[in-house]
Amino acid sequence: MKINRSCLILFIIPLLSFSAHKYYLSLTQIEYRSEKKSVQITINVFIDDIETALNRDYNIDLKLHTKKELKDNNVYFLKYLKEKLHFKIDNIPKEFNYIGKEYEGDLVYFYLEIENIKEVNSIEIQNKILTKHFLEQQNLIKYKDGDKHKSILLTAKNDKGLLKH
Amino acid sequence: MKRITLQLLTVFFIGASVFAQEKITKQGHTNQNKFKQLKDELATPNSQRTASGAPGVNYTQQKVDYIMDIVLDDEHQKITGKETILYHNNSKDELAYLWVQLDQNVRAKNSKSRDIAPNKIPEVINKKWFDRSFPSTPFDGGFNIMSVTNIDGSKLSHTINQTMMRIDLPKPLASGKTFSFKIEWWYNINNHRKDGGRSGFEHFTENNNNNYVIAQFFPRLCVYDNVEGWQNDQFWGRSEFALEFGDYTVNITTPKDHMLGATGVLQNEKEVLTKNELNRLSIARKTYDKPVLIRTQQEATKIEKTKSKETKTWKFIAKNVRDYAFATSRKFIWDAMAVDINGKSVMAYSLYSKEANPLYGEHSTRAVAQTLKTYSKYTFDYPYHKAISVDGQMGMEYPQICFNPGRPEADGTYSDRVKYRMIKVTIHEVGHNFFPMIVNSDERQWTWMDEGLNSYVEMLAELAYDKNFPITRGYPKNIVKYMSGDQSKIAPIMTKGDNVYEFGNNAYGKPATALWILRETIMGHDLFDHAFRTYSQRWMFKHPTPADFFRSMEDASGVDLDWFWRGWFYSTDVNDIGIKSVKKYHTKIVGDNVNFIEDKTEGLGFGAKKGKNSKYHYEITYNKPGGLVMPIIVQFTYTDGSSERKVYPAQIWRYNDKEITKVFSTSKELSKIIIDPNQETADVDTSNNNWPKESKNQFEKFKSKIKG
Repeated sequence: MKINRSCLILFIIPLLSFSAHKYYLSLTQIEYRSEKKSVQITINVFIDDIETALNRDYNIDLKLHTKKELKDNNVYFLKYLKEKLHFKIDNIPKEFNYIGKEYEGDLVYFYLEIENIKEVNSIEIQNKILTKHFLEQQNLIKYKDGDKHKSILLTAKNDKGLLKH
Repeated sequence: MKRITLQLLTVFFIGASVFAQEKITKQGHTNQNKFKQLKDELATPNSQRTASGAPGVNYTQQKVDYIMDIVLDDEHQKITGKETILYHNNSKDELAYLWVQLDQNVRAKNSKSRDIAPNKIPEVINKKWFDRSFPSTPFDGGFNIMSVTNIDGSKLSHTINQTMMRIDLPKPLASGKTFSFKIEWWYNINNHRKDGGRSGFEHFTENNNNNYVIAQFFPRLCVYDNVEGWQNDQFWGRSEFALEFGDYTVNITTPKDHMLGATGVLQNEKEVLTKNELNRLSIARKTYDKPVLIRTQQEATKIEKTKSKETKTWKFIAKNVRDYAFATSRKFIWDAMAVDINGKSVMAYSLYSKEANPLYGEHSTRAVAQTLKTYSKYTFDYPYHKAISVDGQMGMEYPQICFNPGRPEADGTYSDRVKYRMIKVTIHEVGHNFFPMIVNSDERQWTWMDEGLNSYVEMLAELAYDKNFPITRGYPKNIVKYMSGDQSKIAPIMTKGDNVYEFGNNAYGKPATALWILRETIMGHDLFDHAFRTYSQRWMFKHPTPADFFRSMEDASGVDLDWFWRGWFYSTDVNDIGIKSVKKYHTKIVGDNVNFIEDKTEGLGFGAKKGKNSKYHYEITYNKPGGLVMPIIVQFTYTDGSSERKVYPAQIWRYNDKEITKVFSTSKELSKIIIDPNQETADVDTSNNNWPKESKNQFEKFKSKIKG
């Protein structure tokens, strides 16, 4: 059988879903660069999933990565990410800047930045990206501060995590 | 004096070690070396399956022939069938019973497949999926077995266990003997667009029509072999099929105005096709450069507006196939073209409704033709007479026929994503004719053996179809996200299909990538292609196991790959190789000795102390945070701008799995060292791949591109 990541498998019994192989994973890489006082956030998600979610939530038709791509789509991405993604650094809520996005294969990468961070002891992250429309969505968070690495896996029912070293 | 000191020291150390051993006895260990041969993992070779990976002199395989009469009831979406099965016991064993697969029972009301799938309440769900998950009236699916009888009509004892049925033989079937019996049945066909499934019908409200893509529609014999005994694992819905080869004589009765495609050679063309269609078909049989329409959209559109009350019967004979499927509708447009496979003509067909045009008209048959050509090049000449792609709106393969997705917008336009996805799936499903329809591995047990191998050859066919084909699965970089994911949700490739977490990555993506890496990076095209072809040809129309594949690839290439199978197929280890440190030395000749003098300046450049006659000696320590052993691919860039590629084989890690030191001596000064510059090895962390260390990460590179 095949392959493609076409249908939305929510909680369908497997015999009915011939696309059970589709997988729902986003990766959020967070890196603290002390010399730049910057928390750098790179997120990759599958283009078709994020498109489905945004089209439904905002009643739009993005047609991402095509000639007919909806203009000003960054407005929607920013809105979506601001709704779904929240950070607290050392217990203080922090806003992020939206630097931009780029496409790579079937993925879209978002680049976000939290500036003027002199010190990081802990980062609390809430990540609800795609969990509303894809029950099996997993959001993997990887954190890097110097040589230290941490990772946590967030899901619809467990959308918050604390990165601490 | 020196000698005395040495003796004293020796005594001292021996004494110390004896003393230490009294305190703690050092524990030994088993062979944990990543290059340990796979003899413990692979079954012991025998005269049925040899150590070379080829079938042995005593290899046997059962054969099962079917004679079937099938009637499609379009009004009630129902299949009624009767079959006479002729079972050939070619094994050396005596059989007391036979096992028959009843795949439709996965859709029976009492199917346990639902009960083994945990579920949760979502926040929101789209209406279509809600209806599928919470049907108002459960679909009444599953086989209704009306009779199981001997040839003389007397009842044959049988027991149904979910999707399997045991036939108790009147007397044991001796080696070399045959047994013949009959089954009659009917079932309700599922609407696969509504309820899902690997076959079914799609309903069109316009003109109240149905497209049928029909498979697993008859009770089919299980495989009996010396590896599994009877392969009677339940069909849960995901892990596919294990089937015997045999000859099929099939009569299918449909409404008279239907167009049908099926496995096998059509025996009564003149009865079921119009004169016009026969004429066009004879032109298509000589047309190698473009599809020829046998039934046009205009004709199909006219036909679908009315419904014939009469029926017609399509008669087929299929020799040496492992399964049977068909597709039928009054909506079908049909196009065809001939493909030259090393001097033999094979027909590429497509059947599609107007809703799939112009996408199917422009690409479907051409994609079929490309698949047959590319796969024949890398395996064996396609042995059947045709391959059909059907607008089935799924992705599912059967011998000589497959059901594919993709439709344009209502206005006939389609995006590149829709186009390439349709071509990709078509190539993949047609490719399945080779794996597993001919190289017939056990899909129930090992999904990767057909999906992984097929996903690899699929890439070659895609690139041959369009050299800029947007490949999203199979390149090493494509698998990094999966392999570097949460280890608790990753299974080794060598896992039964029903039990893997991420089916697509586990059974399709990762093995395809592994083969791609073997060909591009580890073995090279010549050795890999020869070995892959050898495996394919050895196991044509036979049942290979993973060991047969692993052994053939090594035996035919002379490359020891046990470490590769162990890492990539038996473990979930990842590849991560980095540069830990670089030391620089120049030499100075003093008498008979050559002294190496370390240059402790920053960077890769040398200070003024290096003499003209000395080479540039770099002592590089490579570390390996990842568990996989892989070759170290290094690109050395010189200060003059030129560069050189050096590949250290994976065996460099034999004595130290964590880090190794290797000297690179050159007559030019280096400016940069990069590991795996072309992303050939699925390295999960490239931040340690550069020397001097890269100051900018992916984020910063993007930011400076945007902000300048």
